[in-house]
Amino acid sequence: MSATWDVLVVDDEAVIRDAVRLILGAEGWRVAGAEDAESALSHEALASCRLVLCDMMLPGQSGLEVVREVRRRRPEVPIVLITGYATAENATRAIEAGASAFLAKPFDDTELLNQVRSVLERTDDAGKEERP
Amino acid sequence: MKLRIGIMAILGVAVVTAVAIGLMAGFILRAHRQALLAQLMQGADQISETIGSSTFYDMLENRRPALHREIVTIGAQKGIERVRLFNGTGRIKFSSDDAEAGRMMSEQGAACAGCHSAETPLEKLPTTARARIFRAADGHRVLGMIRPIYNETRCWNAGCHAHKRDETVLGVLDLHLSLADADQRIASDQRQMILLALLAIAASSLLLWWLNERLIVQPVAELIAGTRKVAEGDLHTTIPATAGHELGDLARSFNDMTRRLGEAQRQLTQADKLASVGRLAAGVAHEINNPLTGVLTYASFLQKRLQDRPEMAQDLEVIVRETKRCRDIVRGLLDFSRQTPPQHHPTDLNEIVRRGVAVIMNQLVLRSVALDFSLAEGLEAVPADANQIQQVIVNLIMNAADAIGDGGGTIFVSTRTVDVPARGFTVIRTARCPKGCDLIDPGTRIGRYPGVKVLRRQNDRDTLVHLDPVYGRVNHRATEPLEAGTLASYACPRCRARLDVPEHKCGDCGSPVFAVTAGERGRIEWCTRKGCHWTRCESLDAQGPQRFAEVSVRDTGKGITPDDLDHLFEPFFTTKGNRGLGLGLAVTWGIVEGHGGSIDVTGEPGKGACFVVRLPHQPPAPRPSEAQPRGAA
Repeated sequence: MSATWDVLVVDDEAVIRDAVRLILGAEGWRVAGAEDAESALSHEALASCRLVLCDMMLPGQSGLEVVREVRRRRPEVPIVLITGYATAENATRAIEAGASAFLAKPFDDTELLNQVRSVLERTDDAGKEERP
Repeated sequence: MKLRIGIMAILGVAVVTAVAIGLMAGFILRAHRQALLAQLMQGADQISETIGSSTFYDMLENRRPALHREIVTIGAQKGIERVRLFNGTGRIKFSSDDAEAGRMMSEQGAACAGCHSAETPLEKLPTTARARIFRAADGHRVLGMIRPIYNETRCWNAGCHAHKRDETVLGVLDLHLSLADADQRIASDQRQMILLALLAIAASSLLLWWLNERLIVQPVAELIAGTRKVAEGDLHTTIPATAGHELGDLARSFNDMTRRLGEAQRQLTQADKLASVGRLAAGVAHEINNPLTGVLTYASFLQKRLQDRPEMAQDLEVIVRETKRCRDIVRGLLDFSRQTPPQHHPTDLNEIVRRGVAVIMNQLVLRSVALDFSLAEGLEAVPADANQIQQVIVNLIMNAADAIGDGGGTIFVSTRTVDVPARGFTVIRTARCPKGCDLIDPGTRIGRYPGVKVLRRQNDRDTLVHLDPVYGRVNHRATEPLEAGTLASYACPRCRARLDVPEHKCGDCGSPVFAVTAGERGRIEWCTRKGCHWTRCESLDAQGPQRFAEVSVRDTGKGITPDDLDHLFEPFFTTKGNRGLGLGLAVTWGIVEGHGGSIDVTGEPGKGACFVVRLPHQPPAPRPSEAQPRGAA
């Protein structure tokens, strides 16, 4: 079956993937998960999703590599970088790599939803209007 | 082989002393010998004179047997070896040694050569020329003294008609004195002199050795031992610096250097500790943030889903709130390691205290610790980071509970608004000399704050002094004490610029004052008279008391030793053994410092402890040293 996906979440921690799936799933989004950069970049969801959430620290290739690669393949898809080190320096590096927003761990449902909505609104303002 | 300085010095001095004393002894001995000989010659001359006059009449009246008897008698006396009488032709007429009577003397013989070595015999000779020294058959030395017997009227008028009128010298009296005794004395004097010289050399060498041991070898050995210890890493080494000379100065400089090295090392260790805290915090943040995200998202999700069941929603609210507090603690730890400034918002200190207490109430009840509140009503809101201050309060209360232990006790928590005068409270964090050198010395802390380093000059002697950085307090520290009442002048320890302000006078004793520039606070002045505690800062005095929100946490626990008081706020310092990480009070202090506040602790062993945190109602702007470097004001 060829499912279509709204969101791809990349994090080596299952609890984060599950939490994102829970919160965004409750809002009607279809969330795919990947546990590292390699499986994320080969995931079928990458072709169809409207948003990528990616942890900065991944085993192997870093989250910044994923951001650059997604930016190259699908420049129109916004990327939210998730990090446990919420520093100005990390934020700058994320934005430079092409991330649209920055989400500091640990976050709660409101913070996640607000961040996701705000990047999607910005992208939608610039492109097509489509909401589930 | 290494020759020691002392041995080289002693050898050098011994050689010089030996040469000097040897030369001196030689001169003295020579003079002594000459004087003795002159004395002996004079004696010999007198004896021959006496013999001459006592035998005169025997010769005049030609009483030969009497003359012979007399000469033999005199010749037998002690010290006199021989007495003899030659006639004008050189024949021995009389002698104390009968064997040689009648023998002819050669003109070249020792007794005659004095006069007869010249073409025409001399008739008059000085005493020294009449004397001669020769060796007897057995080797001892003999002094010979001749005495010419001159013709006189009575001689050529005498009945015997033996002598004619035109003869000048009728005969010669020759006296031999033994020099054996004198030589023995000279030899014994020489021995004594050599002995004295050796003693003098030995005594001076010994004295030099002793001085060298005491003044040089001992202090140098202590210095060497000290440097070795320092080289091995023991920076607590001090060496006795009792000597008043240069080596004492060296020892004092050494101690000063070691102390500074130790402080620098402690600071490095501290910095290292902080860096470790930073790494640890970063690692902890990453590891803890994932599970915290899980708890937080699931709990907040559930909370929304269960809004129709308020009792469960309320419990979930506690989970969400406390998980967020965990998040803030982790962030606070990161902030501490990065020293980020807090986010100030008007905050009700009482509310923070209540929230903090609510979090740990269960633990306190379990440990039979009672809480006694005395919160001031209508407390004015103070600009603060609520989460950070709540962490401070939780830290202090948990600390108090740990100090109380399992036996139970009471923690008194109180809040109030206080107006604190600058004197005895405000910390001088910026101090510069007139040329702009930074005088704050993080290497020497007085209390918990870096001292203000100045150079004290008195009688050409420079001493480093660290002034108490708390305005109005006088716990100054000097490397050398100064007698109370004496005046000194002060200078910048770097550029030597004078800090004295002679035109200003001390408000208490009228002595001249010295001053440093404390950033925007302007000049801070101190009295130059030792023992006078006058100090003034016009801007601080003019601004009046500052308003603070104060929270104090007092316990009935085991108290604090004076030694621990100094280290309480250092990272990783703990009195709880394995139970504490030693970060709580370090984080607490970092937070309070970040708020421009103060934290003071009092306590004695067995009498509990009291922590007082004060947060300013008008937090100072970022410190000038951090915001912008300032030159001379």
